[in-house]
This record gives sequence, C-alpha cells and structure tokens, in this order.
Amino acid sequence: MGKIKENNNKTHKLNISNLSKSYGSLEVLRDISFSYQSGSSVAITGPSGSGKSTLLHIIGTLEYPSSGKVQIDDTNPFNLSESDLARYRNTKIGFVFQDHHLLPQYSVLENILLPTLAFSKKSDATEFAEYLIHQVGLSERTTHRPGELSGGERQRVAIARALINKPSILLCDEPTGNLDNATTEEITKLLFELHTVQNTLLIVVTHNLHFASQFTHQLKLENGVCTIETNTNIKDHPSL
Amino acid sequence: MTIKYYWGINLTLLLCIALATGVLVGSLIVGDSMRGSLRDITLDRLGNIHHAVVAERFFDPNMVNVPGKHAAIILNGTVNVPSTQTRASKVNVIGVQDTFFHLWDNSTPNWKNVQNQVFPNIILNDSLKRELNVEVGDTIIVRIPNTGRIHPEFLLGKTDPDDVVDSLRVVISDIITSEQGGRFNLNPHQSLPLNVYLSLNVLQDKLGQQDKVNAVFTTTSNIETQELIQLNSEGLGLSIHQKNNHFDLHTDQYVISPYIANTASDIATDNNIPISPSLTYLANSITYIGSDNGIGDNEHRNIPYSTIIAVPFQQSEFAEIFKDNSTPEDEQVFAERQIKEKQLSDEKKIEVNKKYNDQYQKLMKELSEFNEKQKETSDYKIAYLKRDKLVAEIENQKDEITRYYNTDGIYLNKWAADDLKVTIGDKVSVSYYTITPQEEYITQTTSFLVKGIVPIEGLIADTDIIPQFPGIHETENISEWNPPFPLDYSLIRDKDEKYWDEYKTTAKAFISLQTGQRLWKNRFGQLTSIRFGHIPGVDIQETRKIFEDELLSRLKPEQLGFQIIPLRSDGLKSAKGSSDFAMLFSSMSGFIIIAAAFMIGLVFKLGVEQRSREVGILQSMGYTIKKIRRRLLSEGVFLAFFGSLTGCIFAIGYAKLLIYGLHTWWIPAIGTPFISLHIRSLSLVIGVMISIAIAIYAIFLAVRKIGKSSIIGQLNKVSVYSTNKSIVDSKKNNKSKNLLLYSFFFTGTLFTGVFLSDIVTGGWTNLINSYLSIGIVFILLFFVLRSSLKTHADFSIYFYITLVFVSFIGLTIGLFINFILLITDVNLHDFTLRDSPVYRFMFLTIGNLSLCFLLFRKWLKSEKISQNLSRLRFAFKNIARQSARSESCVMTISLACCVIVAVGANRQDTIPQTEFSFVAESSLPIHHDINTNEGRRKLGFSTEDSTILSESEILSFRVLPGEDISCLNLYKPEKPQILGAPISMLNNEPWTYLKQRNFSNQTIPAIGDNNSLKWILQHNPDEDFIVNDETGKQLSLRINTIENSLYQSQLIISETNFLKFFPSKSGYQFFLIKTPETYRSETAQILEKSLTDFGFDVTSASDKVAGFRSVQNTYISTFQSLGALGLLIGTFGMALIMIRNIIERKGELATLRAFGYSPKLVSGLLFIESSFLLVIGMSIGILSGFVGIISIHNGIPSIPWISLSITLLFVLIFGIISNILAVNIALRSPLIATLKSE
Repeated sequence: MGKIKENNNKTHKLNISNLSKSYGSLEVLRDISFSYQSGSSVAITGPSGSGKSTLLHIIGTLEYPSSGKVQIDDTNPFNLSESDLARYRNTKIGFVFQDHHLLPQYSVLENILLPTLAFSKKSDATEFAEYLIHQVGLSERTTHRPGELSGGERQRVAIARALINKPSILLCDEPTGNLDNATTEEITKLLFELHTVQNTLLIVVTHNLHFASQFTHQLKLENGVCTIETNTNIKDHPSL
Repeated sequence: MTIKYYWGINLTLLLCIALATGVLVGSLIVGDSMRGSLRDITLDRLGNIHHAVVAERFFDPNMVNVPGKHAAIILNGTVNVPSTQTRASKVNVIGVQDTFFHLWDNSTPNWKNVQNQVFPNIILNDSLKRELNVEVGDTIIVRIPNTGRIHPEFLLGKTDPDDVVDSLRVVISDIITSEQGGRFNLNPHQSLPLNVYLSLNVLQDKLGQQDKVNAVFTTTSNIETQELIQLNSEGLGLSIHQKNNHFDLHTDQYVISPYIANTASDIATDNNIPISPSLTYLANSITYIGSDNGIGDNEHRNIPYSTIIAVPFQQSEFAEIFKDNSTPEDEQVFAERQIKEKQLSDEKKIEVNKKYNDQYQKLMKELSEFNEKQKETSDYKIAYLKRDKLVAEIENQKDEITRYYNTDGIYLNKWAADDLKVTIGDKVSVSYYTITPQEEYITQTTSFLVKGIVPIEGLIADTDIIPQFPGIHETENISEWNPPFPLDYSLIRDKDEKYWDEYKTTAKAFISLQTGQRLWKNRFGQLTSIRFGHIPGVDIQETRKIFEDELLSRLKPEQLGFQIIPLRSDGLKSAKGSSDFAMLFSSMSGFIIIAAAFMIGLVFKLGVEQRSREVGILQSMGYTIKKIRRRLLSEGVFLAFFGSLTGCIFAIGYAKLLIYGLHTWWIPAIGTPFISLHIRSLSLVIGVMISIAIAIYAIFLAVRKIGKSSIIGQLNKVSVYSTNKSIVDSKKNNKSKNLLLYSFFFTGTLFTGVFLSDIVTGGWTNLINSYLSIGIVFILLFFVLRSSLKTHADFSIYFYITLVFVSFIGLTIGLFINFILLITDVNLHDFTLRDSPVYRFMFLTIGNLSLCFLLFRKWLKSEKISQNLSRLRFAFKNIARQSARSESCVMTISLACCVIVAVGANRQDTIPQTEFSFVAESSLPIHHDINTNEGRRKLGFSTEDSTILSESEILSFRVLPGEDISCLNLYKPEKPQILGAPISMLNNEPWTYLKQRNFSNQTIPAIGDNNSLKWILQHNPDEDFIVNDETGKQLSLRINTIENSLYQSQLIISETNFLKFFPSKSGYQFFLIKTPETYRSETAQILEKSLTDFGFDVTSASDKVAGFRSVQNTYISTFQSLGALGLLIGTFGMALIMIRNIIERKGELATLRAFGYSPKLVSGLLFIESSFLLVIGMSIGILSGFVGIISIHNGIPSIPWISLSITLLFVLIFGIISNILAVNIALRSPLIATLKSE
C-alpha cells in the first residue's frame, strides 16, 4: 500500500498556445494560450456555449483543435497515431463527467478497473483500485452496482476511476452539476484531497463560482476568448 | 408527419414487413401456380372430355348410351424408326375418328391417305416427335399387343411374341401440339405423354376387332352412370345358339367368366329353366393302362388329341344317356374296381408314410429343441425349410398315387373304346396340358376307370356344347391344326384324320363336371358352355328371350370390367396435387417469415428507442402510456398495412424466383419445368392479412413494453424499455422461463430414460451399437461444463441430479413401463420409443436443446455476478447484461441450426446400394419366363445371349396399370399401380408378409413405401387402402410399409392374390434383375435389344432409387437454401440487436473511448459479444440436431458432411460479416457528440 500512496513525484506540464476551435463558421475558441504544471488546480468558467467543455475535451484529446498547439510534457498528442493517442489518453488523462457514465452492469471495483483493461492490466491495479475506493470512502460498497449508489457515491466512483491509471491531468466536466450543496462540498473536498495526493493537474469546468473560487487558477471564457485570473490567496500544491 | 420524420427507420420497418409479406404471399403464389399449372395441364390433357367408359376387353361402343360420345381404342405400345433405329416405349397408341380432335379445337389434323399410299397415316404428338427426332413423311413402326379374345394364359391363348405383338408400318402425316389434343392421356402426370394417333378403322382391322373399341369418351358432364352402359350379348362377346329344344351359352373368350356363369345359373334357377353346364378340354392323349391288375400290358393303346367334356353325371341330359347305356352288371364291375383302386391307393400312401416317417420325426424333434430365442437363428430356419421340403415331397408322392389310383369314372364313346380296346372297369389315363403363370406347358396325367361306353349319336355326337378351339375348329384336317400349344403331329394316325372328317370335335370321352373342374378349372372360369332347356309350359324361343333379357339386366357393367371414369372431375381433384406446395414453401420459408417478424419487432423497438424523448415529453404533458402506445401502434398498423401491400409486389418476384428455382436448381422435385405463374386474389388477401397480423403482433409486443422506464429516464433519452426491471418481476419471469425449460428438459430426460430402458430390454447390442454416441455426448457435455463452471456449486449439484435422474429414475420408470406391458401381455411394440423415430427425435432433441438453454442461462447468471474482470469477461458480462436478448438470439439461431442440421443430415448423397442391378419395365406384357432357356428361346434370344442371361436372375412382376405413387408424380394419385410379386421373392423379409393368409375374402396383405403412402397417397399406413378389384368389388390392402425402397411408385401384393383379384391381366411388365458385375452392361443391352418389340426399358436399380432420393434431396436442398436464407436474415436481426445494444450503450462506449480504449478494442469487444452468441447458438443447434439424427437413425448415419458444412459455414461467415457491419455502423457516431448529448 505504501508504494501506492506515493505521490506522482514527476512534474507534468500542460502548455497551450494559440489554440482556436471552430465548427464551420462558428468560432468557439479563439487564440487561447496558457501553461500549467501538475499540482495546479484550474477552474474553467463562463456562460453556456462559451466553449468550456470544448476546451476541456481538446485538453483531454477527445477533440482536435482547429489551430494552435497543445503540449503535455513536451508531447503534442494530436501528432500521435490513433492507437498511440488512445494509450496516451489512457495513461495521461483522467476524466470525470457530470453524468458519471458508470457502466451499470459492473460493480464499483469493476468500474474503477475498467480503464486498466484498455492495455495490459497492471498487476497491482486491483490493489490500487481498492486503495482508491478506500480514499473515496466507499470501502463498504466495493461490490455494489451503480444502480445501488447515490448520486454523490457514483461521482466518487467516477473520480476513483479517473485516477486509476495515475493520470497527469484530471479533467472534470461539471462534476458537481447534478449534486446538492452538501454533496458538492464533499466531492469538492475529495477532488482537492486526491489531486493533492496524486499530484495531478486538476482542470475543472464549472458554473459554480463558489466552487471555482477554491481553485488556484481560473480561466474565464467568454465569446471564445480566455481571461486568466490567479487566486493569490490559494497556493499551488506544496510540492511545487 | 411523424412517420415521414423518422423515415429511415420506418423505411426499414416497411421493408421488413414487405419481406415477410413477400415471402409468405410468394409461397402461397407458388402453391397457386403449381395447382393452376396442374389444372391447365389437366384441361389440356382432356379437352372437352368429361367421362370415359373403359373396359378390359373390346366392346361394342353402341352399348354406351350417351350423346357426344367418341369411341376409341387405347393401347400401350412401342414405336421404332427403322431409318435411325431410335425407339420409344410406353407410347399411347390411340385409335380415333376425326371428331376426336374436335374435343380440343375445330381443326382436324391431316391424316388422310394420299392415293395409292401403301401404309396408313399416323399422327404424333410433339413430345414423341422430339423423342424420336422424326418429321412428317417419315415411316415408323408401331407395335401393339394383340392377344386375341382368349386370355394368353389359358391353354388356348396366344403367347408367342409373333402372335401377341402386331406391327404396323405407318407414315407420319402430322404432328399435333398439346392444345390440339397432343397431351391426351388417361392418367394424370405433369410430364408430356408419348402419343400416336391412328384411324380407328385401321387399328380395329389390325386387331381383328371390327366395330369394337376399349374406350368411349363423352363430353356430357352430367350423366347417369347407372344407365350409361346398355349391355348387349354380342357386345359382351356372348353367343346364344338355339337348336331344337335347347339353347347354348358360349363366350368368345372360350371360358365363361364365373360372374356370367353364376348369373346365368341364378336366372335358370329363378325361372325354372333346366340347365346343363359343361367344361370342354383338349386331352393330349387317352391311353389304356391296364385292366383289373392295375398294370398295363405291353400293347400301346393310345388316342392322341381328343376332346373331353366334363358334364354333370347326375340330373342332366347326359346322365340319362349314361344311365341308358349302362347295365347293373357294368355298375357292379365298376364299383368293385373302384374299391380295389382305393385299397391300392391307401396301401401305397401308407408305404410312403413309412418311408419318410423316421426322417420326418427326426426333423420334428430337431425343431422342438429350439427355444424361443433360437428360433430367430438361421439354423432354425434351415431346419424349418427342410421339414417343409420333406412334407412337400410326401404330399407330392401321395398326390401322384391319388392321380394314378383315381377312382373317378370316364365314359368313352364307342369309337374311342373300340380304338383302345377297353371295357367297363378298365383303366385309362388322360394326359393334358396345364399352363403355369410363366406360360410353361406342363403335361399332367390322371387315371380314370372306364364307367361306360356310349354310342356316337344324339347328345353324344352334338358339337354345339363345344366352344370353338382357335386354330383347330376351322381346319379340314388334323395336320392343319395350328393351336397355341405344342402339338406332336407324328402321333396323329389315319384313323384320327378319319374321325376328324366324320365327327370333327365330337368328344371322345366324358368325365364328371366335378372332376373336370378339379383338373381344369382356372382363374378365368370353370365352364365353357351352359345348355338351357325350356321353362315348363313355355316354348324355347320365349325361354331364350326371357333368359337373355334377364341376363343383360342382371349383369352389372362394373363387374364385367367396365369402368366409368369421371376423368375431368378426377383430374381436377388430382390437380390439387399430392403435395401442397403453398404449405411446403410456406414451411420452407418459415425461417424467413419468422426472421422477418423478428426483425419487424426489433426495428420497431429501435424506432421507438429513437423516440424515447418524445415518449417522455408526451408523458410529462399528461398523455397516458396507453394513449402513447395506441399512437405508436396506429403508426405501426399503418406501416404494416402499407408494407404488406408493398410486399405483394415483392411476393410476385419471390414466387417467380422460386418457380425459376423449381425449373432449374430444384428441377428433380417436379421432374419437368411446367409451372407458370398463377396468382389468386384470395391468396394475396390471405397472405396480406396474415402478414399484417404478424407485423401488428410483432409491433404490439414492442409497444406493450413501452413506458416501463421512468419519464425522467426517457427525457434523458434512456431506453423507453426498462433495463432495470424490478427484482420481483425479473425473478417471476425467470422462474416461469425456467419452469418451461425444466419441464421440457425433464420430459426429454424422462423419455431418454424410457428410451434407455427400451434399449436394455431390447438387448445390449442395441445399447452398444446405437446409443453409445448419445451417452458420449452426455458425458462430454458433463466434463466440459463441469470444468468451466466448477466454481458454481449449484450447477454441479444440478447436473449430478440430472445425471442420476437420467441413469436411474428414467431407467426405472422405463423398466416399469416395459414390465407393465410384459405382465399385461399387451404388445405395444409400436409405441416403444425404439420404433417411433419421430417422437424419439422430438423428445431427445427438445431435451437436449432445453438442457443447453438451461446451461446457457445458468452461465449468463454466473457471468452477471462474476468479479473476475478481464477483456473477455467484459464482453461476456455485456452478453449477460441483456440476458433476454442474448437468450432469444441463441435460441433462434440454435433452433434454426438444429433444424438445418437435422434436415440436412437426411440428404442421401451416397450412391444407393440395391439388391438388384436393374429395374426394367416393358410396354407390352411378356408371357415367358426369361429365366429359363425355353422362355428365352421363345422370346427370340440368340443362344449366345441366352447363355449370358442365364447368369442373371430375373424376377418378373405382374402389373395392374395405374398411377405412379412416387414423389415423381405431382398429381395426387387415385388409382395406384399395383404389382404382383412372384412367389420366389416371398421367402425373404419383408416380402414374407405377402405370403401370409388373406385377412378376409376381400382384405389382403400388401407392401408399400412409407413415404409414398404418407406423402403422395396421403394415406395413414395403419388403415387399409381400398382399391377396386376386377369385378368392381372393394379390395382392402393391409399395407406393411418399407422405407426408401426401390418400390416407391407402386403397391405390391403377391402374385397369387394378383391373379385372384385381377385375373384378366396377363403377362409380366415389371422386372428386377440381379446380374453379376461382369455381365452388367451386356445384360442390359441384350434385354433391350432382343425385347425391343415389347418396349423393354432397363434402368439401373441404384439410379432408380437415386432418382427418388434426388426428389427428397431437392426438397432438403430447397429447405436448406430457404432455411439458410431465413437464418441469414436472422443474423441481420442479430446485427440489428447489436446496433440497438450499441445505441443504448453509446455513452458507455464513449466513456471507454475517453479512458483510452482504442476504436479497434471497442469494436473487438463488441464483435466478440455478438459472435459469441452466434457461435454458441450454432453449437447448441448443431449438437441438438446431431442428437436428433442419431436418435432417428439408431446410430450415426452417413451424413453429407460437405453440403452440411458448407451451409453452416456460410451461415457463420454471413453472421460474422453482418456483425462486423453492425459494429462499424454503430461506431460511426462521433465520440464527442455522444458524450455531449449524454
């Protein structure tokens, strides 16, 4: 367990420069540039349709940019082949969706282990999954199915699943969008805790300004243009 | 609007409905086309003919009292083309007048002779023209049977090939088509007949049957059959010769038929007419063989070729003459001689008994030592045959003694007595010919004691009671005699010629009628003449009139061999066909229809899935789920209606395709390409209605389940079909499903148990030989499944229980049932599973399928809860997740595969092995035994050919013409062809059945092919099959069935019964030939060449069976093709399920992609899911199919592995391709759009 608990000590860097994305004549993102390292927490805010999720998906390599450059640890993932990109996504990125997207036929443990099946499963995967379950406070629910869990619990599973491959970047698309205030608080706390322990770069899309205020950096998107604010009251992860 | 909006899915739905309708209606159209075409052929065949009056004999057409009649002679013949040496047998030789062709159209074919033309003209139908490759103006030779009026198998009948076959050289003057009457035939068959048409007069002249015919056709539809035939004496060949105070009744057939004789006798009794029946026979010799010491002296005293008349010795005109010429002393001498002869006879018989007693007793002792079990062995059969042979030998010797020491008296006329120098009490022997059914003359000799000597005067000199001997009567001298039997002219003395000059056929001897009938009666009758006196107080003229009128009114035409056949109504009835092709193709297309219905449900569900949000919105707006269902259903009904109408167009295409298939790929099924498209509006309506019903039902099932998920779920585009059923519902459902499967399984198991016990009681050999394979399957299944599912304790327990159940409980029950049957002495052998392959197949197959389904369900359950995650398990778990869909997929595929395997394995591709090398048929009857040198000599075989033929064994069958009852005839036969099997064949199984005693006077044993009986005659083999015997009486055939035999075209009875019930049929026309392999081709050539006049056609026996098999194989191929097509459509359905699954799981799959699952990996996992179901379904189906086959065939039969493997491989490949396509189509939707929409 000791080995598992170890932080991801390597520093990862996300570098975005002059990123634009258009759907036909509709320009969603315009000339966006920023750069963050692991340990940082970034909240992307903005009104509906401002391109928040699009930006998140491009960072998560689910969507290709129209122009500009995305570099994670000096690698431009969009230059990779499809299979290499899949492997890259599998190892470098962790996703948490608003609609958790848990597979109903699998138990908590199995859902968390799913990303490990994409490539050869690591020998300690199950042990690490159990650790994460413990971390998200669902030790008693290991064999339960998503249908038997509450909304907050499902989101915890989704977070654990996102972290199973120890990603460099943890991307969350409105992770608390469907949750009540109390649960939102719990999930927020959990996200920050795990982000700290795992030493990931945490990027979250949210409408919730209170939630966004807890992040070290805020990217405000409006009409495709990005304004960057740094919360000086909050420091990046101590390891940085 | 909505329908238009969702046009894509609705178009697919419409196409599925159109497919179901098209296939169903198309199948019905094929049935219509078959019936319609057979009906067309019938109408072409008969023109305007409605009824036919036909008879075994030639008759006066004026006896048929009906307007619009056409007299004809129809014979079976052969045709040769001298210039090209081509020939055709089984040709209908039809003698008609010009007006006959007006029954079809008003044109009259050209057959008028050109002036000075030597040979008469003949018309051919176009099929014979093609067969012979001849043209108008060519000369051909037509050969027809002409056996004369006397039956060939009677002593005076003609049998020599030159005598019984007439040849006619004719010139072809015209060729006619089917529309002109070229298809005319009495028996319905889809194949074109081979016909020649001659002028009626020409044929009558050739046959010597002036003004007589053997058929009359009428165009009248409503006829009173009772009054249709008005008999007259001359027309029946009866002659009544009046002289002095008596009149004599004779027939031109020499022997008066028992029916006419009995009727005449009854009339005489009823009207008080004194009668004197007699039987005249020709003796080869009357020889003096001794006085009272029983041993003849050395002087040879013999009279050759004498007429002997058998008359009643009591109460007749003859009796008075005999009495007048006999003194009491004479009677005393005769009586004493009788006693002496009797004593001698008894002594001789005792000697014979003594001689053979020891041998007989020894054999009987040997036989008694065999126990019940040993009676099945060949040793017992040999011993039994030895005893039979000995008994026959003893009987034969005693018979000889009886004949030699016969005490019957004989009266000689004065001339004969003087010639033989005999006196009262002397012993004479009379030699005469009898004729065997194989036309062999056997000389029999019987002794008589001279009882009296009568002068040649009065009645004794009267030749009126003697019928005319053909070839004898009309001659001036004995040396000019030309009888059909062998005659030794060297025996004829001058005094014999003198006697002939003075007395002609006057009888030289008289024996009692009783004795005469014992010696000479035959199947044609036992009287040759009946003399009638006058009714007391009525003159002879008046008596004759009373008698004649009454005779003609009492005689029933049908009992005289006349048949009134309602040709048109029978033909149209038969045109409904032996097989209902509508049902056949509907059943064969069943898989396609089921698959289409399956698709309709799936596509509709898919469409509803697409509209789940709409359903949610409507519900949130206050629509009740009932209203929404109704709304969707009404859309579905509209589509079903529209789709079904569209399907009608497709139906015509499908029907045309099937008809094309029947004319090309499946031609053996119908023999000849004759089907044209016939569409009945009723079939369209029925087909469309059924299709609409199927479509609506499938849609209804889909609609019924709508609204099982929450409104919110639906608004969020979760399936409108609940994916999370309540546990209680699910359990309840599972329980009922399990109950059903368990009940099937246990039924199968129970019957397996009974089956096993049946084997045990039936002997271990059966168990080892036949069912070991099933045991192996069970054991393998046990080990395979135990190892793969050993973690689930409940499974093992369940399986152990099952095994125990099969082994012990089932066995016990089976043994118990057998025990009960044993102690109650009820022979329910037919009910045992061993003898009921269909039940066995059903129970074992269903049992096996159920077992496999249960195991599959069990496995699905175990996969659901499995925690051991791997990529493969990931796929399996998804299969388990949609367990209902997975089960239905597996069940559908396995059932289809099971049927395809079970049906496909019945294909018999191997060359059939038959006991005989050849089957032969002759157009004209052959009256000699081809097995004997003498027979072959008479038939004109050269010595060389005869030597080769002596290596072969030929079994000759008598034939009652009738319809082919094999699968080669598409009409439903009404009058099957019947064969009379020779006695020599009846010693082997299964023919011994024909040897047993008749069940009653009119109920006889018969053998028929099971398939022909069941499917073509559509007759239950357990019931008697009724035919009419020659006298029109009902004859019940109690049929034992044989399987896949050479004899699928006919029913077979023993020759003895054939001769009894169809006595007027002569000769042999069906032959089975056993030939050593070395002489095979030579034998066939020799027979066809030498017997060409008889139209002798030789076919390889294995080809014949292969011909029948090819029909069966074609049906199987058709079924396989259409079944495989259905299965392919089914695999499309599976692909649709796949697409539906993928659409439902789009979010899930996108998530996987988001976590780094490559598209290849996701596709791979989805492919494994669907292909696994395909493979499992196919495996279960194939396994169950083979279990079924093994149960039917009592072991592993020869299976056409190649064709079966190709079919299954094709299905597998197609299934895999459609799975790949489904995965590709489903994964085409973009990843991000899915995640966003979710």
